[in-house]
Amino acid sequence: MSVSRRSFFSGLSASLGGAVGAAEAATPGIRAQVGGPRWGMVVDTAKCIGCQACTVSCIMENAVPEDSFRTIVSTYEVREGDRTAMVMLPRLCNHCEDPPCIPVCPVGATYQRADGIVVVNADACVGCAYCVQACPYDARFINHETQKADKCTFCAHRVDAGLLPACVESCVGGARIFGDLNDPGSTVSRLLAKNESKVLKPEMETGPRVYYLGLDDAFLGKVEAEPTLWHPSHRQEARS
Amino acid sequence: MNPVVEVLNVTREAAWLPWAVQYFFLIGLSVGCFLLTLPGFAFARPAWLRLARLALIGALVCGFAAPVALLADLHQPGRFWRFYAHPNLNSWMAWGAFFIPGYLGGLCLYAWAALRPGLATAPAPARAGLLRRAWRLAALPWLPPLPRLLPLAAAWAAGFAALVLLYTGMEVMVLRARPLWATPFLPVQFAVTALAGAIGLVLVLDRLLPPRDRGMEAVLNRLLALSLAAALAVGGAWLATGLLGLDATHAAALASVAHSPEWRVTAIWAALAAAVPAALALWRPAGTGWLSGLIALHAAWMFRWTVFIGGQTVPKTGAGLYAYHLPLGHDGLLGILGTGGFCLFLLIALTALLPWEAAGPARAAEAAAAPVTPAAPGRA
Ligand code: SF4
Ligand code: SF4
Ligand code: SF4
Repeated sequence: MSVSRRSFFSGLSASLGGAVGAAEAATPGIRAQVGGPRWGMVVDTAKCIGCQACTVSCIMENAVPEDSFRTIVSTYEVREGDRTAMVMLPRLCNHCEDPPCIPVCPVGATYQRADGIVVVNADACVGCAYCVQACPYDARFINHETQKADKCTFCAHRVDAGLLPACVESCVGGARIFGDLNDPGSTVSRLLAKNESKVLKPEMETGPRVYYLGLDDAFLGKVEAEPTLWHPSHRQEARS
Repeated sequence: MNPVVEVLNVTREAAWLPWAVQYFFLIGLSVGCFLLTLPGFAFARPAWLRLARLALIGALVCGFAAPVALLADLHQPGRFWRFYAHPNLNSWMAWGAFFIPGYLGGLCLYAWAALRPGLATAPAPARAGLLRRAWRLAALPWLPPLPRLLPLAAAWAAGFAALVLLYTGMEVMVLRARPLWATPFLPVQFAVTALAGAIGLVLVLDRLLPPRDRGMEAVLNRLLALSLAAALAVGGAWLATGLLGLDATHAAALASVAHSPEWRVTAIWAALAAAVPAALALWRPAGTGWLSGLIALHAAWMFRWTVFIGGQTVPKTGAGLYAYHLPLGHDGLLGILGTGGFCLFLLIALTALLPWEAAGPARAAEAAAAPVTPAAPGRA
């Protein structure tokens, strides 16, 4: 992880050295690449300790309202004989290559940037929630404060400023690695070249650009498990 | 015992609210009612005249109320103009924004063409001179008779009605993310249950707006039994496709809800809601129309509720089902009651202000205008 951060920041200082605009600053260190960057994330599940620091930092960074989440670490307990283990599955928008959330938007408010990041133009969104239905990963929701579609943006505002996404920055175990998939020398590219990786719901053919290392096939789709013990509406029930 | 326990995950709330249920219900009823007017008005079949008049009221009431519910389902209703200013034509929803006014415009023109002879000649209720003057004015007397307008408007509205049925089904069917919705049976079932609900609505209107017509009731009851049998067949075909594993999506859809006791009760309830009124309609085709009609209306509504609200309780990645609690406010119960109240208001206003009992092709209106009570018997 430290390698990824160091290379990221050395690129950042290089880009900041030249007085460049925000758009150019979005491509620190990899502007040599023809066609610009394609941002992606590799999640090394073995390194995730399930601390939810990413969940909290994402909420703080992006002012995600109460009871909503752009990212969450789904946590599972798996029993095998008399052994019990935990499986951590950080979930966020996959910034799919072929995202089903985009063609359904009736007003073209949701779109993909040249660097692959899928975003919502909040000024155009009518809040019809069609994209929420279309995402196979439950990665979108209607923000109760803005009444518009909301989702992980790969922290585009930070990336554009040459910073790492908040969840990557705060990841305690170093499980979230962010970088340019177009750059064969980037940490994410090298990790993907060296390791077997998986994406969620490959059968949906969405081309996710969040890759998982060390994730069992049983967790790629809708997880067959005993239902969750806690979720926000439970808390609401308890309150009322 | 499942070896995997989900210890921590989140609930995603239903993003399409009960307003969406109301919209799909009402627009389906409106289209179904419009189709029921065609034999009486567009094809000038006198035996279908009263049925057509009642169905026209149903089509207008539900047609006017539906877009209100649709707007309310947008979380940013003030921005609806963006549907027209910046449409993304890859989206079925964007097309719907054009089909709805196309259909409603055609329906209004069709209704005017059917009402015009009555507006021009029908005797207004006693002491309603103002109303009579308004009718005469609304008939646009300075225009020549337009005998071609009714069939032309009927064709226009029928074309858009088909597009509305198509888009409402496709809009939901294309969502591969939800196996329960991603089935070609869904648009068919929306259409079939819309027709059954519309027949039910006309049966109820027949009871509310006398004089009742037993002959028409029997015809409607037969149609109702047929449409409900079709709905049962479509539902059965969907179930069989899932049970026999003929298709992975259908099997996944079934698997996502099969273990849930609530869904099993819902399935039995839905089957009964179709079978009971069908049996009633066949067993007692006269005199029970209002009851079979009410149950059929309930079945059409419940199908949409189960599809939309029930469908959204199925997590896309998580285990089990999300809990849904009907909010009491405008996003829930109040919204449902509000649309019901709005429909009732429209029903009272339209039946009080329009000479609907004289509606029909020009000749029918003359017949209706002759007696003091302008209601023509259903069987002419
Ligand atoms: S994960 Fe969902 S919201 Fe994100 S790009 Fe893919 S389809 Fe769209
Ligand atoms: S909620 Fe907004 S971004 Fe999503 S489909 Fe509707 S208009 Fe588009
Ligand atoms: S990249 Fe940013 S928006 Fe996305 S999950 Fe991480 S912190 Fe949240």
